Amino acid sequence: MNSQKMLKVGDRIPSHKWIPTELQLRQYAEASGDYNPIHLDDKYAEQVGLGGVIAHGMLIMAQMGIMLTDWLQENEQISKFELKFKKMVRPGDTILCVGQIKEKLGNTFLYELGAQNQEGIEVVSGTASITIKQEKSDF
Amino acid sequence: MINKDLIGRESEPVINRIEAESVRRFAEAIDAPNVEDVPPTFVMTLRSGIIPGLELPEKGLIHARQQFTYYQQIAIGDVVSCTRRIADIFERRGGLGLMTFVVQEMTGRNIAGDLVFTATSTLIAREG
Repeated sequence: MNSQKMLKVGDRIPSHKWIPTELQLRQYAEASGDYNPIHLDDKYAEQVGLGGVIAHGMLIMAQMGIMLTDWLQENEQISKFELKFKKMVRPGDTILCVGQIKEKLGNTFLYELGAQNQEGIEVVSGTASITIKQEKSDF
Repeated sequence: MINKDLIGRESEPVINRIEAESVRRFAEAIDAPNVEDVPPTFVMTLRSGIIPGLELPEKGLIHARQQFTYYQQIAIGDVVSCTRRIADIFERRGGLGLMTFVVQEMTGRNIAGDLVFTATSTLIAREG
């Protein structure tokens, strides 16, 4: 666990590696209720010009969420989290999620987020704000 | 194309209970290390009603951007009332032809009516 006092601009979150599988896309469809066939049916995905199934954007974001949640200390919570989906992610890709502190504003650290595939192409980019909890859960 | 008159239109609120079973299933699907904490993106699975008149084409729909703001922590057992509204609809002409951007904002409130989260999704519908 990293101590709050030690955090500074430029610090990096330990990266999170993720290799999606077709099975995981199916499990995510069931858990999220998003059964769009572009995530489940290779033939359909080819017919609509995607060249095969692609991962749900929200499953990619969930991986970034795992990285952030692992990094959180007990007295911190995520207050903002946003991503732009830039490139398609497919089963078998190797995705590396990274994050770095960009700015400190009062009791909030602003992180810059990104993820690359095995070819070094950026698949998402975004930001998160992590805030030190106030009394109870309000902040 | 999607009618701009839908901007501002909102769904009726739907009451959701954060169920341990749904959280566990979601956490397992994303391969989260802890299946008891509510993952930050879990709120997207909550029911938020239907916006009358909104029909998004399934084919060619792209999720371009997603933003969450969390005002309170969410835990198993919480009751959250969710609505969604069309925040914006606009068109752009790009390399892929005419694209319609639909911005939907989902809002979750607790029983007291306090904001718990907002989740804003930007979807792009391609013509054809």
